[in-house]
Amino acid sequence: MRPILQILSLAALIALTVPSVFFLAGRMELDKVKWIMLLATIIWFVVATGWMWKDKGAPD
Amino acid sequence: MDTQEQSQQTQAGSEFEREPVPKSALLGFKSFIGMYAGEHCAGTELMIGPLFVAAGVGAFDLIMGLLLGNALAVLSWMFLCAPIATRSRLTLYYHLEKICGRKLVTLYNLANGVMFCFLAGAMVTVSATAVGVWFKFPMPGLNDLYPNSVGWVVAVAVVGGLIAIVAAYGYQTVAKFANVAAPWMVLVFLAFGFVGLRQFIDATGAEVNSLGGAWQLAKDHIWKGGAPQEGQVKFTFWHVTFFAWFCNMAMHIGMSDLSVFRFAKKSWYGIASSTGMYVGHFMAWISAAILYAYQLHLDPSDTDVLPGPLAFRACGLAGLVCVIIAGWTTANPTIYRAGLAFQAIWPKSSRFKVTLITGAVATVAGMFPAIAMKLLDFVALYGMVLMPMGAVVFIDFWVIPRLGLRSSYAELSGHSLNWAAGLAWIVTFAACLTAVFIIGRWSLWFVSLPGWFVAAMLYMVLSRIYQNRVRPPTAA
Repeated sequence: MRPILQILSLAALIALTVPSVFFLAGRMELDKVKWIMLLATIIWFVVATGWMWKDKGAPD
Repeated sequence: MDTQEQSQQTQAGSEFEREPVPKSALLGFKSFIGMYAGEHCAGTELMIGPLFVAAGVGAFDLIMGLLLGNALAVLSWMFLCAPIATRSRLTLYYHLEKICGRKLVTLYNLANGVMFCFLAGAMVTVSATAVGVWFKFPMPGLNDLYPNSVGWVVAVAVVGGLIAIVAAYGYQTVAKFANVAAPWMVLVFLAFGFVGLRQFIDATGAEVNSLGGAWQLAKDHIWKGGAPQEGQVKFTFWHVTFFAWFCNMAMHIGMSDLSVFRFAKKSWYGIASSTGMYVGHFMAWISAAILYAYQLHLDPSDTDVLPGPLAFRACGLAGLVCVIIAGWTTANPTIYRAGLAFQAIWPKSSRFKVTLITGAVATVAGMFPAIAMKLLDFVALYGMVLMPMGAVVFIDFWVIPRLGLRSSYAELSGHSLNWAAGLAWIVTFAACLTAVFIIGRWSLWFVSLPGWFVAAMLYMVLSRIYQNRVRPPTAA
């Protein structure tokens, strides 16, 4: 299960970044960028929480 | 068993607060990379980038200043902080207690706690600007010192109140959430930069087909240099360099991160701080600066530095959520740490109540936009306040034994106040502050460098006098 969640998380991060790169290249409208980023954000927090929550935190 | 002993044992049992970190608890390099990348990509980055633009910085000065200043910060972690941390493996507080005695550490905790409160206040301010996008109340301007609308006060009260309650109830939960949010947040910051850059290209009609074209755009339209906005100090290459170097002065030169690197297997792990510096203090500052520069390009009279509206314009709701989470996840540990600092002063008080009160103080501080709008000044002051104690720790560890004197003298002599360290701290801080008042506000970002040497010299000279006068019980 964990590897699948990790792959999905990576896909969410790619989906978060790529639209802004397309916008920079002049290949996507800003409104579309905003919607895809919002969707990627939701997916990231749902999926990444599933496998990152139990990870040991950094020292503080 | 008295409360103090009980508290000490509890701490020692959980986080090695009063004993060296054992070999079995040491952590690998990867732990530090993630921690620094996440911790230094915070809500306040959304203020600092724009404030550079407001300070009239030029493109070359900004980019080269950040490259050099961040490198100096990483080297400070590597060669000043981490080597002591991996040899002593103690927290800064326990290390200081051995050198300075309990009374002086109490005073240090008070100073640290107060500074943390104000810093957390600035983070609450950042988050509250996102609320303004929804509710459209008047938000503070660049030169506002006081709250300027009821809506603003209510928004900060709600955001700050929630952050304080969550910090008091579930610090660990938010810390875990911050770990989840960190990679996402870094990439949203990157997206801010990409979107802002395209908006500039469209607005100016610039031809950007190469790195040279992008540099031309940066020089001509984004960081044009020239006069700063009203009320701001003009930032040059040296200002940017010293700001980037000293904005975390409390952590590296001030030795706060002894508490972090005591878990490191090797002192070279200090280089892990470069992830925080070049992600948070380079990429994130540049991205946030581009958004503000674009706002100024569209309307030069719109000088307000408001991360919420800036992020919303660039990346919509995802940007707005980023502002809230960036402020929240960084205000949370800051309030918690401030609470711990205060609790060390009043050990009988409950951590819950202290954190709640600390959060309330931070919330009130956040209502005053002066702290966030003068963040460049505040951060320099923060480093200046705590830097002399870093010099004391450094000299006590490396130099004092070579002078024929004894390290950790408060512990050795059984005294609760090492006035050599106390005077080195107070006199250095007073001297730096006086220098800023005499020379001018522009020197605020530089005085901590000579200040470190003043503190080091003072501690060496005063330690000789102190250790001659105050003898350990066995030598008396």
